[in-house]
Formats: sequence, structure tokens, C-alpha cells
Amino acid sequence: MDVDTTSSPSDHGNILVVDDDAEIRLLVTRFLQRHGYHVHSVGRADTLLETLASFTIDAIILDVMLPGTSGIEACRQVRQVSTVPIILLTARSEEDQRISGLEGGADDYVTKPFSPRELLARLRSVLRRSRGQDRNAARLPQNRIGFDGWMLDTTRRELYTPSGVLIDLSTGEYNLLVAFLEHANRVLSREMLMELAKTRTSDPFDRTIDVQISRVRRKLEAAGNASQIIKTVRGAGYVFVPKVTFG
Amino acid sequence: MKRGLARFLPDTVVARAVSILAGALIAMSLVGYWVYQIGAEGLATAVRDRNLTERIVSIKRAVSAIPDEIERDKAAHALATPSLDVHWSKVELVPDNVPLTLRARTLEARLRSLVPEIGAEFFRVGYADDGAHSEGMEEAHRHMLLVSVRLSDGSWLNFASPTLGAVHTMAEHIPIIAGIIGTLIVLIAILLMRWVTRPLRDLAVAAERFSLDEARAPVSETGPAEVRRAARAFNTMGERVRRLVSERTMALAAVSHDLRTPITRLRLRSELLDDEPTRERIDEDLSEMETMIDATLDYLRMGVVNEVPKTFDIAAMLKTIVDDETDRGQSIRLEGVMHAPIRGKPVAIRRTLWNIIGNALKYGSAAAVLVGLEGDQVLVEVTDEGPGLPTEELERVFEPFYRVEDSRSRQTGGTGLGLTIARAIITDHGGTIALRNRTQGGLEVSIRLPALPTAS
Repeated sequence: MDVDTTSSPSDHGNILVVDDDAEIRLLVTRFLQRHGYHVHSVGRADTLLETLASFTIDAIILDVMLPGTSGIEACRQVRQVSTVPIILLTARSEEDQRISGLEGGADDYVTKPFSPRELLARLRSVLRRSRGQDRNAARLPQNRIGFDGWMLDTTRRELYTPSGVLIDLSTGEYNLLVAFLEHANRVLSREMLMELAKTRTSDPFDRTIDVQISRVRRKLEAAGNASQIIKTVRGAGYVFVPKVTFG
Repeated sequence: MKRGLARFLPDTVVARAVSILAGALIAMSLVGYWVYQIGAEGLATAVRDRNLTERIVSIKRAVSAIPDEIERDKAAHALATPSLDVHWSKVELVPDNVPLTLRARTLEARLRSLVPEIGAEFFRVGYADDGAHSEGMEEAHRHMLLVSVRLSDGSWLNFASPTLGAVHTMAEHIPIIAGIIGTLIVLIAILLMRWVTRPLRDLAVAAERFSLDEARAPVSETGPAEVRRAARAFNTMGERVRRLVSERTMALAAVSHDLRTPITRLRLRSELLDDEPTRERIDEDLSEMETMIDATLDYLRMGVVNEVPKTFDIAAMLKTIVDDETDRGQSIRLEGVMHAPIRGKPVAIRRTLWNIIGNALKYGSAAAVLVGLEGDQVLVEVTDEGPGLPTEELERVFEPFYRVEDSRSRQTGGTGLGLTIARAIITDHGGTIALRNRTQGGLEVSIRLPALPTAS
């Protein structure tokens, strides 16, 4: 098993890339190094646990279609010993793969052929989340969040009404709702919401976050729930009112 | 039980049809024969009744010619036969005060019509059963028809016959009963023929509903021999078609999967380029390649999509799409209901709606989306402000790889598969999709899907 360890001047973290295509390994390594990461890469997942034991790894980019141990299987193995963030590389058409990967403990996925910049954004996001979690001590991954009869499935990223109807959400709306659910009954300022929901623009005078909130509200209200779920706190921000249950 | 019975059935459609035909013919012949018999019997009864009545008339004339009372009774006795008992008496056997029952009246009329001469006589008719007899004579004349004819001197000749007027009214109902039985035979024959040809109709239905879906059960190979053979041939053909399509699909899926790796490499390589304009152009080309691969794969997988159906809100889905397009600076608005649950495959439907709305924005510069409930259907109307389409193209654009002249240019792109896939998906959901040029200009796409009752 060849393990390339390439050092780089700046150090945003140690990333392990697992892909059976040598060329892709090399290109991803070069791309991530350009953005200040320390990269190890391997072609198979068979000895992934040993690699994890002998290096400090901050995140894994894991191809699903691998010879020998599959990416899904490797993902499960890693989860038994570590909470290191995992990003799966899946084929666009293989939804089942993606779901079983996320259920197996992967944090996120990028579909092949992926855009390098998207991969970078996802990587930053999972690293930020895992570092945040380290500070607040380990929080168990929740895949079903309930509120006021509604249910959010975070594995499939699906929102269901109390009568079981699936309500479509954009990525921005989904992220915003998750941010609210994780901080229910707390007043959140627009800046905090922007940070939590990872909206691209960070201009505090930008109205985008208000637009997103009004969109989420309208979707919640349209499904027949009259009670105010997201309340505006004048001058302070917003608060998510209902009781939230995890699990 | 049924299987045991089936063993004794003729095996082919021809044999079954012939036996049903033969059965119906035999049944009809039997009914005909029965009708004939009843008719003949009726005729015989009429002849017998006429004879008896004529005898009544002639006996009365013969007896009234004898002046001596003792001789009269003797003559009456001498003229009696087992079918017609005759007595001469001072009193009548059918008394005056007996109510004239319907059948007695009918019989009287019948006797008058059979033998007009009796009209010249004064007589009374009565059935013993109806109480038409003198006292003390009940037992002797049970079940008998009694006729009393008055002689010129006021004495009576009393006739009693066990056979006269026995069966007569039935004859008129015979054609009706025969008609009913005949109709029944025809109905039974029709039902049997329908039963015999049912496997054939099942096969036709299966052929109409043929889909590439592996899960669909094969046609059951039952029924007559010809139908079993056709069902077997149909199943084999279906299997071959499915295998052919799935082999092609797998080959294409493999090619497209293999293309993902070089495309991914190219994306990474272009990202490492320092030449920004070139990088952007490479990325555009790569996106176009991906779109084409995805569209081709979608097209090949039509009807074989493994997505699990869910209950979802198509209004919320349209809201997401419209909001997203608005954020990209497109001129688009959404009107209508805010909540419209349907049952279906959300990913497939989302792709379809994206495609339709994307087309409207591409060719029509501005678009309006209307979502509403119409009866038990959800109606989604996407209208644009573009030039519309020539009438003859409105249906043709749904054909695979067909492109409107303008969309062949690189600028607008398009694979010629979008609407084909859209129609396949909508049809798969039990809905319809149609294009129409609006009178006020622009194209209108109407999608109708079965609605779910809104839970309030």
C-alpha cells in the first residue's frame, strides 16, 4: 500500500483521499495542497483503519466504488473507531448508495464528476462542523428531528408535514431550518443565522437571509400549520418556537 | 375442483367454441321440439273438445227427439262414453244459482267458437271443482267439466266429461316461454364465449400495458391451447425486449460511468490552470458533456427508474424551483395554490419541472407558473412570452432527439430528449402533458397529475 505524504507550507488540516484512480488521487492532492491542506492518498480502503491509526487525519474523502472493501463498508468500519468527518464520492444516479453511505455515518457527499470547488466547500463545511463539535463535546448524529408534528430526515435531507407529505426545500432553506432546529428557543441574529446556515454572502446588510426565512415560513404555513413557528424578534433576530425532539 | 373439471374441457378455442355452439343448438332444438309438442297437444285438445261438443249437440238433438221419458234416459246412457257421461234428468246438474267463474265463462266462449251450432241451445257450463253441481253429486263429479243442456220441455241433459277443456289456456303462453328460454340460451352462450375468450382479452390488456418494468408479473399461461401459446410467445418476447433494453442501458451506463472519471480528471486539471477564461470555457464544455450523458441515461432509463414513490407537495417543489430561478435573476412568477400533495417520484418530477421551466425561460425570456386543482387533478401550467411553436411542431417536440430548428444552435443547446423524458415521466405518473400556443402569444405547457385529497 502506497501512502503519499506531501507536506505543504500552510496547514489547514490533514486530509486522506481514497480513490482507485491514481490520476484523480494526484490531481485532488495537488488541488487541496493549493488550498493549504496536508494530503495523504491511498488507492484501496482495505487498510484504512491502519492508516487512520498511524496518521493524524482531520477528514476523509472516500470514493464509494472501490476494489476490495467498498467505500460504504469502509465508512462503517471507520465510524466504529472514530468520528473523523467523511465525504463520499458517489455516482449521480446512485441514490441508494448515497443514502446507505450517509446512514453508514458519512457526513456529506459529492457526486462524480464533481466540481473541485464544490468539493472544497463541502470539505471546509465538514471540518468547521467537526471542530465546532469538538468544542461543544461530541454530539450524537441525529437523523430524525421532530417539531410540532413535522419531521426532518437529515440523512435524506427531507422535510415531512404532520400528515406525512414531503415538502421540497432548497439547500439554503434546509441549512437554515437545521440551524433553527439545532438552536430552538434561542434568539438568533441574522449574522448568526448566516454563519450557521453558511449562506455565501456575509454582508450583514444583505437581505438574503430574510428572504430565505420568509420562504421557509411560507412553506411551513402553506402545509396548513397556522401557528407561528419562526417568530421575528424586533431588532434582535428570529426565534424558533416549537419544542424540538431528536432521534 | 376447477382444475379437475378443466381436464374434461376441450383444449382449443375452436373446440370450445364448437361445443358451445353445439350445446346452444341442441338446447334450442329441444326447446323447439317442446314448443312443437305443446302446440300439437293444444291442437289435439281443440279437436277433442270440438268432437265432444259436437257430440253434446247431436246427443241433445237425438234425445230430444224421443218423447218417452224412460226411453230418453236409456238413450242417454246408450250414447255415453268414458269420455262423456250423459244423463237425462228433470233437474240440471249445473244449477242456475252457481256463480259463473272465469274459467267456466272462458270455456263456454270456447265451445261456442269451436261449435257454432251450440249457440242455438240453452246450456250452462261449470266445473265440478268450482261447486257447479247439484247437491249430493259432489263426489261423483269431482274434477269434471259439467254441461247442462235444456230440452224444449224444460228437462235437462246433463253431461260430465273428465277430458273436455282440460288444457287450453297454456297454449297461448308457449311462444313467450319459448322466447324467454331461447334468450337465456343465447345469453348463456354469450357468457360462455366471453369466458372462453377471456384469456385472449387478458393477453391483449397485458400487451397494451407492456412496460420495461421488471417487477411486472408475466401473463399467466392459462386458457385454451392457442391462447397459452400466444401468452408464452408474448412472455418470451417481453423477456427478450427487456433483456435487450437492459443490456443496452447497462452498456450505456457503463460508458457514462467510465466517462465520469476522465471528466472528473479534466475538471481537476482545469482547476489547476491559471488561465481563468480558458478554465471557464473548459468547465462549460464539461458541464455540457455531463448534461448530455445524464439526459441520455435518463432517456434510456425511462420507466425503469427505481425511485420510491412518496407523497409530496408539488406546489412547494415549484416554489423552490421558481425561487431558485428568481435568485439567478430570471423573470419568473408563481401563482395559484400553495399546497398540492401528489403521489409520485419526487426526483423524477423535479427533473421534469426543471426541464419545462428551464425551456420556458430559455425560449420565452419570461415565464409564469400556475398551479391549481382541477377536479381530481393537479394542473401545472407553465407559460412563456416567447414566439411559441408552429402548430405542426407541438406534438413532434415530444419525439426523441427531435429538436426545433433554433435549438440546434450551440447557443441554446439541448439534447432533444428533455420533453421526451418529461412525457414519459408524467405518463408514468398517470398524468398528461401537452403544449399549446396561447392566443395572446407564447407557449403554454399544461401538466395534469392525479391529485391527492388535501388533508385539512
